[in-house]
Amino acid sequence: MKPLPSTSSKTPVKFRMPTSENLVPIRLDIEVDGQRFKDAFTWNLSDPDSEVSVFAKRTQKDLKLPLAFATQIAQSIQTQLTEFRSYQGQEMLTGEKIVPIKLDLRVNHTLIKDQFLWDFNNFDSDPEEFAKTFCNDLGIEDPEVGPAVAFAIREQLYEIAIQSVATARESRNAKKGRRGEYSSISSRSTGAALDLMKLFSNRYSVVRKRKEWDVYEPMVDILSNEEVNALESMEERKPR
Amino acid sequence: MASLEPPAVVTPPSSKPNLLPLPSHTIITPSAAALAAVAPTTSSSSPATPSVATPLPTPSDSELVHIPSYSRWFSVDGISECEIRCLPEFFHSRSPSRNPKAYKYIRDSIIKQFRRNPSSKITFTEVRKTLAADVISIRRVFDFLDAWGLINYSPAALSKPLKWEEKDSKTSQHAADSPAGPSSDSTPPARETTKWLCGSCKSVCSIACFASDKCDLTLCARCFVRGNYRVGLSSSDFRRVEISDEMKTDWTEKETLQLLEAVMHYGDDWKKVAQHVGGRSEKDCITHFIKLPMGEKLAGSSEFGSGMNKLNQMKDDNSSNSSSSGKRLCLSPLADASNPIMAQAAFLSALAGTAVAEAAAQAAVTAVSKVGHGEAKAHIRSVHGVQGLQDASITSNGSDMLKSSEDARSGVNPMPEEKVNVEEELRTVAEVQMKHIQEKIIRFEEIDSQVEKEWKQMEQMRDILFYDQLNLLKHERSIRKTGQQAAEGTRTG
Repeated sequence: MKPLPSTSSKTPVKFRMPTSENLVPIRLDIEVDGQRFKDAFTWNLSDPDSEVSVFAKRTQKDLKLPLAFATQIAQSIQTQLTEFRSYQGQEMLTGEKIVPIKLDLRVNHTLIKDQFLWDFNNFDSDPEEFAKTFCNDLGIEDPEVGPAVAFAIREQLYEIAIQSVATARESRNAKKGRRGEYSSISSRSTGAALDLMKLFSNRYSVVRKRKEWDVYEPMVDILSNEEVNALESMEERKPR
Repeated sequence: MASLEPPAVVTPPSSKPNLLPLPSHTIITPSAAALAAVAPTTSSSSPATPSVATPLPTPSDSELVHIPSYSRWFSVDGISECEIRCLPEFFHSRSPSRNPKAYKYIRDSIIKQFRRNPSSKITFTEVRKTLAADVISIRRVFDFLDAWGLINYSPAALSKPLKWEEKDSKTSQHAADSPAGPSSDSTPPARETTKWLCGSCKSVCSIACFASDKCDLTLCARCFVRGNYRVGLSSSDFRRVEISDEMKTDWTEKETLQLLEAVMHYGDDWKKVAQHVGGRSEKDCITHFIKLPMGEKLAGSSEFGSGMNKLNQMKDDNSSNSSSSGKRLCLSPLADASNPIMAQAAFLSALAGTAVAEAAAQAAVTAVSKVGHGEAKAHIRSVHGVQGLQDASITSNGSDMLKSSEDARSGVNPMPEEKVNVEEELRTVAEVQMKHIQEKIIRFEEIDSQVEKEWKQMEQMRDILFYDQLNLLKHERSIRKTGQQAAEGTRTG
């Protein structure tokens, strides 16, 4: 395990996904001629851009989508990749950052609700491994759940990374040189803290309070068909 | 990273794929062993270990999974060199996400998924939805497995129901309005009847159609060109099937016989052949002749072997090895060979005649081999050429003999006396060849010594010349001196 940087060294780090592999979460939500295609997967940045169109074509063929989808898919992927890349040159402050990751997703018939803490600073972390273990431990049979979980984690990490870039920029602009202060401000604003006990404002023990146990316990629910349909229709209505 | 040898199950040297049984409850072999994370059970393990708690469905209905024989190296328990070679990015540890463990995870999951339902094709998108890894790695492994026939290789694959429709109720993807996708529900066309239905546009194929054995699909020319086939296929999987002639009139046995007779008699003169057959144009004759299913009548041998088998048959019919028409006949089965270059070469050699073709080949070979040599050997080549022609006729005999003997040995047409004859003749031919080679060597040596002599002579000449030159110079100088002296003498005197 890589030794974590001490709290005192709050040197900004180049932007990247805080995981062992620099995989970008890509979310697709394309609508063409009344057909909606939603998807989510991870993309390896080191792959050449030519792969994008190949992948788009492949997906479109496999799913027998109309041709217009291929270009749209490719475009969407490209924009997300460029967005990610635009962040890449910049710096982000990490400090000591424990972030809460929330899982609240429905994959086919499986509903998952969970919350846990993730060390943002650990650049060796592997959401895929976590997802695999998660599914194994909870006996989830649907093979599509694992990647969905990994994706959700990644997405949230991505968001947090973007936020930390923004805060790093702010702190640089403020430019008072009192770095320690600003990082503590930034970390407070994103909800993490330098100190676990401080985070949970529990002065007496590091063990979690009883009332919070439920929140942090994973909940897996298998839905029936009707419930799935109901949920789907609700989801459709929401963003529209 | 050892790769285990597949079990010796059904290994005829045929083009049929090797069959690897999925774990039945009695025989569990390593390479076909449970793709689940079950401890590998070798064939020596006691069959008393009943169907180990495999997540694989019903070990009692052991389905056979076909994989092609060129993928024999594959084993679930390890990574073979072939994989390392084809997918190097996983093994050179330059990127943290691409490592052997990840590769094995992806590969095993894909194969497991496919084998859960081996009769239907698995698409890349299905697979990538279930794998926690980046999509490009998944795609590479998928393509690799597909190319090597480790997935989606089922000759009797029926069309699978549209995943699109299935997913309608499950995921948030909405079904396409026109569910009946193009190549999804292609019923395998009846091959016996002469009607070919295109799998995708459902039109009757008229001129030419493209059939793929790989997934039992037929496409009309238009669909083929448009690329309207499934993910796992590429354009090379299709072979062209000409229809127009056959559709219009089928060749009866009698006509075929007549055709063969005519070709034997008249060889290349297709006009006469057409006349002989009666009622068929030249072009028809030629096309039908090329398409004659020479090999399929004979049991399971490869295309090439069957072509050579026809050769043998023809030989028996003709009973004269050097009848040029017979030879021309014999070479044309090669036109059926899948390799277009071979077909081309066969066609050209058939046109040109065996002797000339052999001589040309010989000359080409010798020219290529002699490219590095000096010019002293140039005249050897010309000498050689004459010899070459002689050799050619003998080598052609020999090669034919070789082929026919090979074929005889392959046991397709077992005829013992013929075999013995052929072997003897083979021996004599080999001896003759050896003699030729020896003579050539001797001649080379002679020429070598000649060249050396000449070289020495040249050296001597050069020395002599040099000596002469020196003498001349001396003379010149002495003359000049005497001249000068004489001049001085007259002046003073």
